Amino acid sequence: MTLRGKIPFLAGLAVALGAGWVGFPHAIYQSRPQPVDFSHKVHADKAGAKCEDCHSFREDGSFAGLPTVDKCAGCHTVPMGTTVAEKNFIDRYVTPNREPQWAAYAHQPENVSFSHAAHVKRANLACETCHGDTGTSSTLRPYQVDRISGYSRDIWKIGNMRHGMKMADCVECHRRNSLENSCLDCHK
Amino acid sequence: MKTTRREIMMFAGGSAVGVLFTPAPWRLITDTALWSENWPGVPVPARGEIRAKYTNCSLCPAGCAVRARCVGDQPVALAGVSGHPLSHGALCPFGLAGHHLPYLPSRVKQGPVKEAAAAVAEGIAKCGPAEYVVTLDLRPARTASWTYRRAMAAVKNGRYVTPSVDSSVAVDLAKARTVLSFGVPVLDGWGTPGNVIAARPGFRLIQADPVESRTATMADQWLRIRPGSEDALAQGLASTVTHAAAAEASGLAESEIAALAARLEQNGPVLVLGSSRLESTGRTVVARRETPVPTEWHKAAPVSGLASLPDGSVRVLMVDESAPGEYLPWNAIQKKLVADNPVVVALAWSREGYARHAQYVLPVGVYPEVVGDIPPAVDSVAATFRLSVPLVPAPESCVKPEEFVAAAAGLSIADTLHERADAIYKTGRGALFTCADAKSAALKDVSAADFWKALNAGGCWIDAPDEKAPAARFSAAAAEARPVEESELPFVVVLNRELTPASPILSKVYQESNLRLAPNTVALHPSCGLEDGTQAVFETLLGKCPVRVTLDAGVPAGVVRVTASPAVLDLCAAGARAKVVRA
Repeated sequence: MTLRGKIPFLAGLAVALGAGWVGFPHAIYQSRPQPVDFSHKVHADKAGAKCEDCHSFREDGSFAGLPTVDKCAGCHTVPMGTTVAEKNFIDRYVTPNREPQWAAYAHQPENVSFSHAAHVKRANLACETCHGDTGTSSTLRPYQVDRISGYSRDIWKIGNMRHGMKMADCVECHRRNSLENSCLDCHK
Repeated sequence: MKTTRREIMMFAGGSAVGVLFTPAPWRLITDTALWSENWPGVPVPARGEIRAKYTNCSLCPAGCAVRARCVGDQPVALAGVSGHPLSHGALCPFGLAGHHLPYLPSRVKQGPVKEAAAAVAEGIAKCGPAEYVVTLDLRPARTASWTYRRAMAAVKNGRYVTPSVDSSVAVDLAKARTVLSFGVPVLDGWGTPGNVIAARPGFRLIQADPVESRTATMADQWLRIRPGSEDALAQGLASTVTHAAAAEASGLAESEIAALAARLEQNGPVLVLGSSRLESTGRTVVARRETPVPTEWHKAAPVSGLASLPDGSVRVLMVDESAPGEYLPWNAIQKKLVADNPVVVALAWSREGYARHAQYVLPVGVYPEVVGDIPPAVDSVAATFRLSVPLVPAPESCVKPEEFVAAAAGLSIADTLHERADAIYKTGRGALFTCADAKSAALKDVSAADFWKALNAGGCWIDAPDEKAPAARFSAAAAEARPVEESELPFVVVLNRELTPASPILSKVYQESNLRLAPNTVALHPSCGLEDGTQAVFETLLGKCPVRVTLDAGVPAGVVRVTASPAVLDLCAAGARAKVVRA
C-alpha cells in the first residue's frame, strides 16, 4: 500500500487521538460556578483563619463539613471591603440568612462512609494531603462533575494534589501504612 | 475529489485504533461502573441530624445497653454504653450489627392473621376436657410472658409452657474464685459479655469440654474429656463415684481428677456450670428476687414444662418466637399435639424455627423494631427491668404476639410495660441507671414520670442487693437416653451454641471465614475419611439433613460438632449419636 493509500487511516487515527485526548476530557465534565467568589487565601492571610476554624468538628467528634452562613455572619454582618463579590455575598446570603449552595470538590458518593475524624484527629493527616492547594487558593474554580458517574473531577488526581480520592487511592494508602482496608470500613 | 468506500473504511479503522490509545474508552468503562453503583434503589445512608439514641439489645438474654448513632431517624452504628453497671460498655459482634436485622431478606413479612385468629378461636371452642390450649414462650419472665400467663388463665384448659429455664436462679461471678464449666461457653456468648470480661481476672476458669471450643482455648485449664462424660466427671469430683470410675468414663487420668478435686477444695468459692451433679459453693449461685409485677397479675397460669402435658393433648399451640431463647425439639412438641387437626401458630420473624412446622406463620417485629422488656441475665444477681426501645418502626403487617394471644383468650390488656414500671416504682427499691449521663440514682429520688421516661431512653432499673438471698442450685435437665449401636451411628454429637438472629453481613463474614460454624456445616476430625467441603448427610435416629463437612483438628475423632440450629435440634440433643455420610 502506498503512503497515499494510508492517509485515510492516519487521518482517522489522528482525529481519534485528538478527540480522545483533548475533546473527551472537556466533554465528559460539566462545569458550574460556585455561588460565591470565595478566597481561602484572603481568609488565611488577612483573618489568620486556619482550616479547622471554619471546617470544624462537632462536639461528638464528627466533621461538620462546610460552614453554614451563620458562621460567615460572625464577621460579615456588614460588607468587609468594597468588592462586588463581597456585596453580593452579603445581599444574597447573609442578610436573608440563606445558605449558599456550595459544591464540595471532595464530595464522596453516597455509598462511601468517610470519617474526617479518623483521618485528621487520629491519623494526623494534613488537609492538603487530600485537598491539595484549595486552602491557599484565591478564588474558587468551577465545580466539575462527571456527566456519567456524577463524581466530582477532584476524585481523580488534579492540580498539585498528592493523590486522587478514588477507592484505589484509599486502599493504596491504607496498605502502605498497614491499616485496615476491608470493604466494610468504608462501605458500611 | 471523490471519497471511496475503501477510504471511509480506512478512516474508521484508523479511528478505531486511535481511540484505543486515548483515555476515552477506559474512562467510559470506569464511569459506567461508578454510575451503576449509585443507581436509584441502591441503599444509601440517610442524611440528617446526627444524634444518639439509647436502647437495650434483645437478641439474647444478656440485654446489653446500646448507644445507637442515628442519622435522622436511621440508626447507622451501634455501640455499648460506657459505665453501664450490667454490660460495662461491651457489645458483642451480633449486637454491633443488630440494626441490620430489619433488612434480613428472609424474614417473614406477611401472614394470614385473620385466618389464624379464626382457627385459634375455633380450636379453643372445640377444646375437650382433656385437651389444652398452650402458649409456648421461648424467653420467659418478660412482661409479655406475664400477659401469656394471664391469657392462659383466662381460657379454659390454658397452659403456659416454657423451656426448662429457671429464671429465679442467678450466678454471682464476682464471688467465684474458680469456675468449673462443663461445656458452657463461658467466654463465648454465655451470660453478659461485659460482666464476664469484668469478672474474668477474679476467677480461674477450668473448662471440661470434649472439643477445643473458643472458651476451652481461652480457659486457664482445658480438660479434654470424652463426649457425654460430663456427669461422670462431676460425680467423681463430688466423690459420689470413685476417681477411677470417673477417669475411665472421661478419659482423664485418675491423678488428674484427684488433683482437680483438691484444687476445687482449696480455691473456693467454686462456681459449677453445666452440671447438676456437683454443687457450687460459697453462694456463687443464689436465688434472685423476681422483678415486681402488679398484684392483679398474680392471678396467672403457672409456669409449666412441656413434660407436664400428656401426649396427644394439645389442641391449640401458639409459639412466641419473637424473642430468641431456648429451643424445644419439634419431635417433643409434636407428640403432645392432638391427632386430629391441631392448630399450631408460630409468631416468628424467620421461617427457620417452628414456622417450618406450623400451619399459620404470623410475622412479628425483630430487634430493634419492637418495644419489650428483657429479663435479667443468668449472671445478674439482682432483678432488673430495662426496655428494648424501637430504633426503627416495624412493618405494618407485623403482629404483636402478646396482643394476638390476649385477643385469642379474650383478655383485655393496656400498656403492660408501663403498668409493670409503676409496680416497680411503688416498691421504692433499687436504683435507676440513665444512659445519656451514665449515672445511677436511687429510685426513691426519681419521680414516676421520670422513671418511665428514663426507661424509654434505654435506662435500667436494678434492684437493691438482697443480702439474705439464699444459695440455690440449677434444676437438672432431664435427658432422654436412647441406646444405639455405635457401629450404626459412629459419631457423638457436640452442639455448638448458635445465637440467632444474626445480621446477614455477620453471617457472611463469619461463616465464609470459618470463624463461626455455619448452621448447615458439621466439623469433623481430619481422620474421618471425608474431605473438607464435602456435601454430606447428617443422620440421627430422628431424621437427617444435608450438611457441608469442614475438617477441624480441634474436634476429636468420633465426635461431630454441629451448630445448634433449630433444624439440628429437631434431630438430636447434645451427646446423641449420629452419622455423617457422603451425599
